[in-house]
Amino acid sequence: MTVFTHILATTLGVQALDLHGRDTALAYGFGVAVDVDHALKAPFYLRAVGLQDKRGYYWRSSLQEPVGFLWIAPLCLWLGTAVPLLFFAIHLLMDYSVSFEKMPFYPYSHWVTRGWLVGVPDKVKEGILCSVLVVANVALWWARR
Amino acid sequence: MLGAGGGERRAVVGPSVKRLADWLAGPLARVMHERFGLSPTQLTWAAFWLSGAAAVAVAAHHTGVGLLLMALGQLLDGLDGTVARAYGLGSEAGHRLDTRLDRASETLIFLAFAAAGLVPLGHAVLAVAAVLLLTTVCDRSGFDPGVKRVALYFGAWVPYPTLFALIFGVNLAAYVIGLLLIDFQFQRRMDRLGGDLDTVASRAVALEHAERGAAPAAAPALDPHPPQPQTTEAQRHRVLTAETQRTQRIQ
Repeated sequence: MTVFTHILATTLGVQALDLHGRDTALAYGFGVAVDVDHALKAPFYLRAVGLQDKRGYYWRSSLQEPVGFLWIAPLCLWLGTAVPLLFFAIHLLMDYSVSFEKMPFYPYSHWVTRGWLVGVPDKVKEGILCSVLVVANVALWWARR
Repeated sequence: MLGAGGGERRAVVGPSVKRLADWLAGPLARVMHERFGLSPTQLTWAAFWLSGAAAVAVAAHHTGVGLLLMALGQLLDGLDGTVARAYGLGSEAGHRLDTRLDRASETLIFLAFAAAGLVPLGHAVLAVAAVLLLTTVCDRSGFDPGVKRVALYFGAWVPYPTLFALIFGVNLAAYVIGLLLIDFQFQRRMDRLGGDLDTVASRAVALEHAERGAAPAAAPALDPHPPQPQTTEAQRHRVLTAETQRTQRIQ
């Protein structure tokens, strides 16, 4: 999913749960900023693809794969909040609806999957989700005003 | 600490540091091995029992004695690697034993600090968890900052809860960095494959499986860098063709 859709989903979650301060930062950190691995892998992308838009290129990392729960769960216990776990799970659910190849448990397992809803075109899924999130965000903001 | 098999911690303990440590510990290692006839494995076990004794002392509120015993344990733990390298006794099994007993020692010592009421039990358990997580990847990533029980020596100046927070944070961060480093290794492998980028992950995995299938049953025990298994061009071609066909069927 694009970073814009992740921001919309996280914003909806932050509004719905009425998060503030540190919890808001954690929500955006684990709901959106885990995408920073694309920036870390940008040199690989540029070398392999150049400046073209090749969305199927594998440039994910364990930072946004289910294996991340292994370090996020202890972190949540240390911080005494489940916010990172929740928003990371939302991020994963969204990413796994896009049909690019993913390695959920690498480096512990080499299992490769394309996620779920692989029969529906990615653009359709993203378009529908994005629209729903925009409407839900506006509706929630309006209701709380 | 260095394993009996000369376990690598490439990013932190480079070859030059290892050579310096071996040179410094050489005389003591000679005494241990030649005079007392101790093998690297026996030194590893002795280090563990000293750490166990350190844990008992700490739990009994004799923190100073505990830290002294822990220091002796760590000294022996370092000597096992020196003896192994100096006398050609290194082995993969020795490295594994060393790593496992190191983690067991840390677990005992961390829990002892909790038993003594110096830190909350939850913090000690989470520090152990972070160290164990790092251990699962540090051999492959080559990244281990080495901030484990050694941090506890600073207890005279820094409160123990802060030191445990440091151990937890550093090891958890090192685990995340280690995962990323391993990802980068795999990314290079995928990029070298080229071809259809939509299927590059599954093709790289299939190739890795094929290489494992071609690997010898057991690596020579004394060789710390066994030769990489060779995959024939025909094998590579078969795997890549099969994977490409499979992914085309899925699409």
